[in-house]
Amino acid sequence: MRLCAVVLVLLWCAGCTTQPDPETVIATAQDNQSMETPWEGQLLVIADSSSSPVLDVGVVLFDPGVDAEDDSPAATVRRLESKLLAGQLRDALAESNQWGVVRMVPTASALAPVNIRSQIIKSDGRDLVLRVNAIDAAGTVVFDHLIGHRETLAGEGFADIFNAISNRLLQWWQQQSARDRASLLFLSEVRYAQQLAPDAFIGLAEQVDGKWELQRLPADNDPMMRRVDRIRNQEYLFCDTVDQQYVELWERVGGTYALWRDAGREQAYWLDAYEARVRARGDRSDDSRYARMQAEYAAYRSYRMQEQAWFELAKALDGETQPSVIETADRVVTLEGTLDVQYETWRRLLRDIFAAEQGLEK
Amino acid sequence: MTDLQGVLRIMLTSRSLGRHSMARTLMTLCVVLGLWGCVASSPAQQRLADTPVADFSGHWEVDYARSDSVQTQLNSTFSDIQRQARRQRDAAEKGVTYQGLPLGDVDTILALAKMAELVTASDLLVVHQDIAFVRIDRENSFALVCDIREGQTSGTQLGQETCWWDGQQLHFSIDLPEGLSIRHRFIRSADGALLAQRTRLSTRGRQRDFEVSRIFSRFEPGNRGYQCINTLSRGRVCSTESAPSDASL
Repeated sequence: MRLCAVVLVLLWCAGCTTQPDPETVIATAQDNQSMETPWEGQLLVIADSSSSPVLDVGVVLFDPGVDAEDDSPAATVRRLESKLLAGQLRDALAESNQWGVVRMVPTASALAPVNIRSQIIKSDGRDLVLRVNAIDAAGTVVFDHLIGHRETLAGEGFADIFNAISNRLLQWWQQQSARDRASLLFLSEVRYAQQLAPDAFIGLAEQVDGKWELQRLPADNDPMMRRVDRIRNQEYLFCDTVDQQYVELWERVGGTYALWRDAGREQAYWLDAYEARVRARGDRSDDSRYARMQAEYAAYRSYRMQEQAWFELAKALDGETQPSVIETADRVVTLEGTLDVQYETWRRLLRDIFAAEQGLEK
Repeated sequence: MTDLQGVLRIMLTSRSLGRHSMARTLMTLCVVLGLWGCVASSPAQQRLADTPVADFSGHWEVDYARSDSVQTQLNSTFSDIQRQARRQRDAAEKGVTYQGLPLGDVDTILALAKMAELVTASDLLVVHQDIAFVRIDRENSFALVCDIREGQTSGTQLGQETCWWDGQQLHFSIDLPEGLSIRHRFIRSADGALLAQRTRLSTRGRQRDFEVSRIFSRFEPGNRGYQCINTLSRGRVCSTESAPSDASL
């Protein structure tokens, strides 16, 4: 019965997911399989050292799946979760020791050869449903999974899910030939350069049948590529700031978030138990009228009290974004707004710097 | 309450409740349908008033001297029923159709009275209010929360809650699935010193409601010598406050 309920939730959530963009459509054939994939009990495959060539991974902050205007406590928690869960995924990938640098990024870009994007479909402390896909620099969808996880009352956390994601990525990377691996890393660099100055790097990579392909490589001593590397390092600075914010956020709200999940989970299980008790009692025609009224009111009161305690916790999880202060060699830049906005501002600034240095038009 | 129940049972078993004429049934049906029409056509949004919401914010404690006791209300209800039963009996003896309200059943009235005690058990209220929301924290119960600009309806499988401001009173209505309905109305005195909470309980299909009023007076929490907060891990935690003279020591 419980299994049916979980499957129903997953199927329902599958119906609610937004249409993936063209990049993700490629993986739809895998979806049916992924729905049946067991995600529980996954042990993280840990390497002694990362395999060569090392693959850097970008973990995009999760799409919270709530309206940007929604300022309800539940939406506030979702937005926080989008950072906290991304941080947990990043930690699992880093712990596996299979990858190069694993960075959290506000949006997917060619900064990393592979980006993992996730959307929170449902999260109530007991059930977590995520849509997770990984896309490489060529635009190929490495995997695209709908993952459903139900925690027990004790609450064992989401390590299994994130371990599984790391293992899936490893499985794919190990299947790539040495030539394909090297090609992907070059392609990522070229795509990054093209995003900075499309005209300057035209023809190095082109889209063929919807996928990016490396056409030729820049010269080893290409001075423009060296400048691109410098700009890329500046962008890494922003990622380090996001990382630092995650650490601070976790220290600040990690405990409260755990309490929030505990409360949500207890509430969900309590409601199940209550409904089971009501079903077992039948129409309770033997009870006195007062006993029936009292039981019904007590159930409602308990539920509301738990719900309100839950929302109080949610409000305690302050969702305000912090400004990012980035120190570069010659200046200090303060970025305001949401992380997405800050990231876009920073990238625009870097493009402008690059254009100015090259004497290119902005 | 048990003694009263016994007296009432004896009284009601002697009545002739079984003889309902067709005319009376139809009349009752008309009245019920008429009332149903009124209720159905007045959702929370339509009952909202433009009048600014009175300021309920602050700490309130029950004033027992001014409040109803459930027992007194129950006695009054039973006296009323007794009078009606007498009239009904007299009418039956004279062969006249009784025009009054149905008597209602004792079990339900007693259950509603006990429920009234339960739902109005909070002696302390803390009201937080801003331009958009009012939240009435009730001791040992859930808070009543209302979006006072637009009214509010929220529902789960365990019950439905509606609230609205009608220009003079703040209404909260809780409807439970098996038919118990709880209506709270909050009214503030003109000088802002008193807060009245009128609570009416009814059940689906029963004509007799049970209403009880509780009057709260404003107090300053700092004067009590102790302060309590609800915590998740330890429940309600109270601590003594240092007396003003302590500070100077």
